[in-house]
Amino acid sequence: MWEDLSLKQIPEYAKDPYPSIRKWIKEKGKKAVGSTIADVPEEIIYAFDFLPVSLIGTDKPLKKAPSRLPDNACSLARSNLELALSYEGDLFDGFVLPQVCDTTQHLSDIWRISFPGKYVESYLAPRQVDRPSARYWVKEEIERLIASLSNWSGKSINDKALNDAIAITNENKRLLQEMYEIKKKNPGTITNKQFFSMVKLAMQVDKAEFNKTLKNIKASLKPKKGKNYTDVILVGITCDPPEVYDIFDEAKLNVIGDTLVTGSRYLQGIAPQNGNPVEALTERHMKNGFFSPIHDNVYKHFEEVKALYKATGAKAIIYVHIEFCESQEYDLPDLKKMIRQEGMPMHILDTEYQTVSLSHLRTRLQAFFESLKGGSL
Amino acid sequence: MSEKLNSKQLSKKITDEYMEDAFRAHENGKLIGYSTAISPVELFVAHDIVPIYPENHAVANLTAKKGAQLCSITENLGYTSHLCAYARSDLAYRESGITVTKGIPEPDLFLACNAQCFTLTKWFQVLARKGNLPVFVFDTPEYIMNKKAREEIVKYCVLQLKELIGFLEEVTKKRFDYDRLKEVMKYSAQSSILYKKFLDMAQYKPSPISIFDALIGMAIAVYRRGTPECVEYYQTLCDEIQEKVDQGIGVLPKEKEKYRLYWENLPVWFKFSDHAKLLGSYGGVILTSLYVHAWSFEFDLDKDPLVTLAENYVSRFSNSTIEDRVDMAMGYFKKYSMNGMIMFMNRSCKAVSFAVPTLKDILVKRTGIPALVFESDMGDQRFYAESQVRTRIEAYFETLDRLQADKPAA
Ligand code: SF4
Ligand code: SF4
Repeated sequence: MWEDLSLKQIPEYAKDPYPSIRKWIKEKGKKAVGSTIADVPEEIIYAFDFLPVSLIGTDKPLKKAPSRLPDNACSLARSNLELALSYEGDLFDGFVLPQVCDTTQHLSDIWRISFPGKYVESYLAPRQVDRPSARYWVKEEIERLIASLSNWSGKSINDKALNDAIAITNENKRLLQEMYEIKKKNPGTITNKQFFSMVKLAMQVDKAEFNKTLKNIKASLKPKKGKNYTDVILVGITCDPPEVYDIFDEAKLNVIGDTLVTGSRYLQGIAPQNGNPVEALTERHMKNGFFSPIHDNVYKHFEEVKALYKATGAKAIIYVHIEFCESQEYDLPDLKKMIRQEGMPMHILDTEYQTVSLSHLRTRLQAFFESLKGGSL
Repeated sequence: MSEKLNSKQLSKKITDEYMEDAFRAHENGKLIGYSTAISPVELFVAHDIVPIYPENHAVANLTAKKGAQLCSITENLGYTSHLCAYARSDLAYRESGITVTKGIPEPDLFLACNAQCFTLTKWFQVLARKGNLPVFVFDTPEYIMNKKAREEIVKYCVLQLKELIGFLEEVTKKRFDYDRLKEVMKYSAQSSILYKKFLDMAQYKPSPISIFDALIGMAIAVYRRGTPECVEYYQTLCDEIQEKVDQGIGVLPKEKEKYRLYWENLPVWFKFSDHAKLLGSYGGVILTSLYVHAWSFEFDLDKDPLVTLAENYVSRFSNSTIEDRVDMAMGYFKKYSMNGMIMFMNRSCKAVSFAVPTLKDILVKRTGIPALVFESDMGDQRFYAESQVRTRIEAYFETLDRLQADKPAA
């Protein structure tokens, strides 16, 4: 299903992966387990021989979710719920849902109550990472998730199954990292949309199959430098709807670094392959990059962005703000100030999953780059 | 010997002394610790750190209808209008100095417990950045309905309380005194029992207290728990209310008390007394909410203090599952014989409000009582539509009247 996709097909599949997932599950006779972002260790779900699928919102209209989550909830949380309530719910036998921010504080309860026939488990990773107890708790939660999945499925997994899942996931991330390097240096080869669609799709489909696609694509790529690209850093949690990348591509922006949960933060999450899988997943969690809802050194985000900007020689930073994401909104005014003080130009894109017309985003982005260059792009 | 103070006088005295102590903290070699209203502040008290609750200060300003003014100052700083009004009014106070009180002293350190919400962590982070100050997050994973998971959660929380003690020792360069903690816990346990007793007086008919009394009465539990004066205050308060009970004095006279109501969420602070009057005119009195019960802890003094602290803080309504929240509310419906419910969707408080639609559906189903749902903001008047709320309340009481008229006579 996903082993032989062309580069061109990837954005289509990533935009709506569900028809292919539906078909695949039927053919393989497997179960799908969905999870929202971030940090649910998908390798565990994979090791149980279920398909782990990251739910990353939808731009389809909201019908039922507004009666559960009001309009001041972020569109990622609302549209994920809608996705399950109205569109793709039947695809999933279960969900593993993390608690990260105020919006997600009771989300797994809402899902559990909304889907009484399905398996719904919470994944309660620590929302602090700077003390030893955080590490202790990640490990506990990983072990609890394993026990819970085992209890639900009646199966058990051994270290080998988990290590194999880690190996496949790591291979996937390495291949994506390689693609990213090619794209960064040769933006004419892979568009922003194609690359970030690859990452997204990787979070949703069978990785063993998708790795074949990635290898094929890599082998057939003819690196094209392209002309007149402007290198930028993308900062945020997710960047949706996917058409936002079209705007970047049209404007010949080359995303040369990012901090997205659906980007580098995911790709950097390579678990050590040291034989002890639970330890490895714990270790990986502790090394994750900044994620706004989790308490950490308050300057870490700024430092991360600054380091990326300096190391890559990017011309500007694009911050993707998800409307109503309060965790981003507490950070933004200070972050903006610090970034501007460093002389790093930053543009803020206000996004919403249900946005259909992106013309205002395009106009504002163009205006920003024009002012940056003192002329047209 | 001076005459015994009544609860109101006592509350004022305790508050004045507390604030004076807070403003003099540095002179007296003490530090100021900003804390979330729900947090194991007993550790602060035992370690002589003066706890300050920016939420309480925000309540004073929001009740005095300063919300819209303060919130717009914060919005001009680049913050969005849908963040918690406590945070927005506080950030504006820092910027402008505007407050209806004498203000609050500046912090030396922060303790954020996310059993309440995660907003406070982010809000404290903003304040911490101003002075490069340390923030300790007491992370309380949701108290999910699984016995084994709960045991593990408590263990994780105990581990963190030990880390918190280490953190306090490091910041103050002073050893933590566990005996002192035991003493503090004793006061906290006693005052919590009395506070609960006070809230539970709403079970009498007519009820001698409404939620508005509870909201005023809870202040001392929030900021002075762990002290002997807190115990004294609640003893005095309970005695006073008991007298009312003995004399059959209710918020509304017995024959007028038609609807005994449950309130979900925090109050609309700036409409506090208006709501009491309006509801009273329909024979309605709001008796309780899970929110006011959030400070009725049940500390077990036979247990290790850190264990009983962890168990109590992690199991607050705001950190419990919706199913558990329903059970808690059902307990009060029965105990207080309530026959109506007002479910407030508070734009400010996502942590509490996003569970409300689901909670409401289950409560309506289980009680058979219709609910009034309305959306507004606890502190920002710009989100409050007076005529709409009045119309909804009117219509709700009409529904209740109709249902009562349709009921077969007993
Ligand atoms: S962190 Fe932000 S985007 Fe993610 S669920 Fe919470 S509010 Fe939504
Ligand atoms: S009102 Fe809600 S969001 Fe605001 S500080 Fe209180 S619990 Fe947190």
